[in-house]
Amino acid sequence: MIPLFEMRGITKEYRGVPAIRNVDFTLLQGEVHALLGENGAGKSTLTKIMAGVVQPTGGTMRLDGRPVVFATPAIALKQGVAMVFQETTLVPSMTVAQNLYLGEERFLNRLRGIYISAQQFLQSLNFPVDPAATVASLGAAKKQMVEIGRAVRHNARILVFDEPTAALTPEEKHHFVALVERLKSRGVSIVFISHALEEALEIADRITVLRDGQHIVTDVTANFDRDKIIHAMVGRSLSGELYRRREQSQVRPPGRRVLSVQDLTMGNMVRNNSFSVYEGQITGIFGLVGSGRSETARIVAGVVKRDFFHGGEVRFEDRAVRYKVPAPAVRDGIVYVTEDRKLEGFFETMSIADNLYAGLLAKNLNAGGPIVNMAEMRRLADAWTQTLNIRAINKNARAVELSGGNQQKLVIGKALLQKPRLIIFDEPTRGVDVGAIGEIHQLINRLADEGLAVIMISSYLPEIMNLSDRILVCRQGRVVEEFMPGRVTEEKIMYAAVH
Amino acid sequence: MKGWLFRRAHFSQERIVLAITIALFVLFSATLNRFLTSANLLSLLQSVSVLGILGVGMAIVVIGRGIDLSIVAIMAIPVAWVLYMMNQGVPVPAAFALGLGFSVAIGVLNGLFIAYVEVPALFATLATGAFVYGFGRSQLFNQDIIYLPASASWIAAVGRMHVAQVPIAVVFFAAISLAGFLVLRYTKIGRFFYLIGENYLAARITGIPARPMIVIQYVLSSLVAFIAGTLTAAAVTSMNTRVVNSTLIYDVILVVVVGGIGLSGGKGGIRNVIIGTLLIGILLDGMTILDVRYTLQNLIKSIILLVAILVDSIVNPRDEQTDQQGDI
Repeated sequence: MIPLFEMRGITKEYRGVPAIRNVDFTLLQGEVHALLGENGAGKSTLTKIMAGVVQPTGGTMRLDGRPVVFATPAIALKQGVAMVFQETTLVPSMTVAQNLYLGEERFLNRLRGIYISAQQFLQSLNFPVDPAATVASLGAAKKQMVEIGRAVRHNARILVFDEPTAALTPEEKHHFVALVERLKSRGVSIVFISHALEEALEIADRITVLRDGQHIVTDVTANFDRDKIIHAMVGRSLSGELYRRREQSQVRPPGRRVLSVQDLTMGNMVRNNSFSVYEGQITGIFGLVGSGRSETARIVAGVVKRDFFHGGEVRFEDRAVRYKVPAPAVRDGIVYVTEDRKLEGFFETMSIADNLYAGLLAKNLNAGGPIVNMAEMRRLADAWTQTLNIRAINKNARAVELSGGNQQKLVIGKALLQKPRLIIFDEPTRGVDVGAIGEIHQLINRLADEGLAVIMISSYLPEIMNLSDRILVCRQGRVVEEFMPGRVTEEKIMYAAVH
Repeated sequence: MKGWLFRRAHFSQERIVLAITIALFVLFSATLNRFLTSANLLSLLQSVSVLGILGVGMAIVVIGRGIDLSIVAIMAIPVAWVLYMMNQGVPVPAAFALGLGFSVAIGVLNGLFIAYVEVPALFATLATGAFVYGFGRSQLFNQDIIYLPASASWIAAVGRMHVAQVPIAVVFFAAISLAGFLVLRYTKIGRFFYLIGENYLAARITGIPARPMIVIQYVLSSLVAFIAGTLTAAAVTSMNTRVVNSTLIYDVILVVVVGGIGLSGGKGGIRNVIIGTLLIGILLDGMTILDVRYTLQNLIKSIILLVAILVDSIVNPRDEQTDQQGDI
C-alpha cells in the first residue's frame, strides 16, 4: 500500500544546529497518527515542515507517491495539507462564517448567503457552532472547530494539529476525540502532537516517537503502552529522575512570610486573589492558561504595563508595596523570570557577559559611580557562566546563538545577580532541552535550600509535583486550593484547576 | 575587547562603508587636482562638522531605538531666538541660558511623549519639530534669518578661530564625538541606552529605569543640536531658520545609517557616525568640485540613503526572532 504522505531523511538545521536529523515519517490514508516526544524533540519542527511553514534543510517528501515541495503553507494547503495551530489564526473580530470564507469573498459579499452556507457546512461536520457569532466570543474548543472547519473546507486531506487538546477542558477533550473520529470517517488523515500519552493511546492508530530530533520508533498503537512510550521518549531513565514524586520527608518547612497577597484584583484576569509565600520554600502555582497565575505574579513584580492594580494589597516583607514598573521591585528584592524569554528575557545580540552585567547594573543603580567596570563584568561573566554551566561556542557568543536551555540559564543568572529575596519563575523550563531542565530544577531547589522565597509557576504537572513544597492551584483569577505535594495526585490538582 | 560585542555584529557593514570611503578618497585624490590639498580637506571637515555633531545626537537616540526628527528645528529655532534676544539687548549669558533652556525643554517634551505617553518616536518628534518651528517663527521672532548683532562680534571671532590650524567647528566635532564615545561606552547610562534599544521589554523587566533613560536620550540630542546651532551661527554670523525645511534632517539620518548604526537599535557607536560623516563629506566635496548640480546631488544622496536603509534592514532585521532558532 502506498502511503498517502511520506517524508524521507528530513533534516532541519537552524544556523547549523540540527533541530531534526534524518527523520522518516509515513502517513496512511485515513489514519490518526500521534507524534510524541519531549520538549525539544523536534515534533513542532517536523509538523511545520509537513505543512510548509518551515523549509527542511534536507530530505524529500512525497504525496500520493509524487514528490512535493511545500515552499509556503498556501502551497501545502492547495495540495491538501493543513495545519491547525495552537494559537489560532482566526480573525477574532469577525464572525465564524466570515472566518470560514476568509479569502474567498466574492466581490459583492452577501453576509446572509455565507451564514446559510456556513450553517449547512458546520452541520455537515456536526460542529455546534453559531456561524453568526464573533470568534472572540467563542471558547478555545469552538475556535478550534472553526479552524478545523476552515481546513476541511479547503479539502484538506491531511490535518496537522500541534497540541490540539492543550487548551481544552476535559469535556471539550471528549468533543475533540469525537471530532477526530468524524474527520477520520470522511477519509481525512490526522497527525497530532500531544503531551498527554493517554490521549495518544486512546485515539491514535499509530504512534511515532521522536527524541533529540531523531526518529525513534513508529508502530501501531496496540503495540504500545505508557511505559514503552516513556522509555522511547526519554531513552534514558532521566524522566523518572526529573519528575519523580516528591517524598513527604523532603518537603521544606515554611520560613518567615515574605509575601502576602490579599484580595488582589486586576480587571477580570485576577479576582480577589489571596495567598502567601514563605522563605526557604518553593511555592508551586499551577493553573491553566487564563487562570491569572502569571498576571498575579506580574502585578506583584510591577511588570504589568500601566497601573492595573485595581484593588487589594500586596505586602512584601511586611510592607505594603505597589509597583508600577519593575525597577523598584528589583531594587527591593523581587525578581520575575519571564515565561517569554525571547520577548522580554534577554538581549539577543549581546554577549553572555553583557546580559548578566545588565542585571547587576539595574540592581545597583547608584553604587560604584556612573562608570561601568569592565573588569568586574568579565569576572562576573566567567564566574556565573561556570556556576550555571552556561554552554556557548565561545565567550563572545551572542545570547541568541545559545540553545533554549542556556538562554534560560542566562536569564536566571541575570536575575540571581540581582540578589533577590523573592524570585518568581514563570514556566522556567518552557522550550528548554531535557538536559537543561534537570539543571534548572536543581538550581531552583538549591535556591530554596539557601533560604530564598521561590515562586514557581508551571503548567506542567510533573514539574509542579516534583519541585513544590506547597502547591497552589489557580482558577479564574484566584488561588482556589492548596495541596501538600506528598499527598496529592495529578488528577486532584487538575480537577481543582478546571472545575 | 572581550564582552563588547556590538562591534562584531557590525563589523562587515562598517568595513564596507570604510572601504567605500577610502576608495572615494583615493579616487577623488587621483582625479581631482584640487581635492588633496590641506585647505580643501580642512574645509571639507569644517563643512561636515555640524552634520557630524548632529549625527552624534541622532546616534544616541537611534541606539535607543528611537529617532529625533526635531533635531534640526532644535538646532535652528532656539539659537535664532538667542540671536534675536541679543539684538533686543538681552545680555548674552541670559540669552544663551534661555535658548539652552528652550532646547532642553523640547528634549524633555520629546522624551515624555515617547517614554510615558508611548507615542512612536517618529510621530512625536515630527510633531514637536513642526511645533518648535511654528512657535519660534510666529511667537518668538518674525524673520527667516536672524543676524548676529555687531555688539557680539566676539562670537563671530570665535567661530573663525583655528586651534593649531584646525577650524573650531572641527575641534567641537572631535570633542563632542569623544564625549559621546565616553558616555556610550563607559557609563552606565550609555550601557542602558544600548540595552533599551536592544530589547526594551527585557531592559524594563531587568529593572533598568527605561523611561527616564529615554527622556535623557532626547535631552542629550537636544543639547547636541543646540551646540550645533550655536557653532553654525558663529561660523556664518547668522541663523537661517529655513534650514528646518531643508534636507538636512535626511543628511543626519544618512550619516547615522550609512555609518552602520542600525535603526533597530542597540547597535553601533560614535565610530560609525565618524565614518558616515567622512563618507558623506568626501562625497559632497567631490561632487561640489566636480560641479554636480545641487538637485542631482540630492538624488545621489537619497539613493545612498535608500541603499543604506535596505542594507541595514537586511543585515539587522528588526525582528531577529524570525531569523533565529524557533521553537523546535
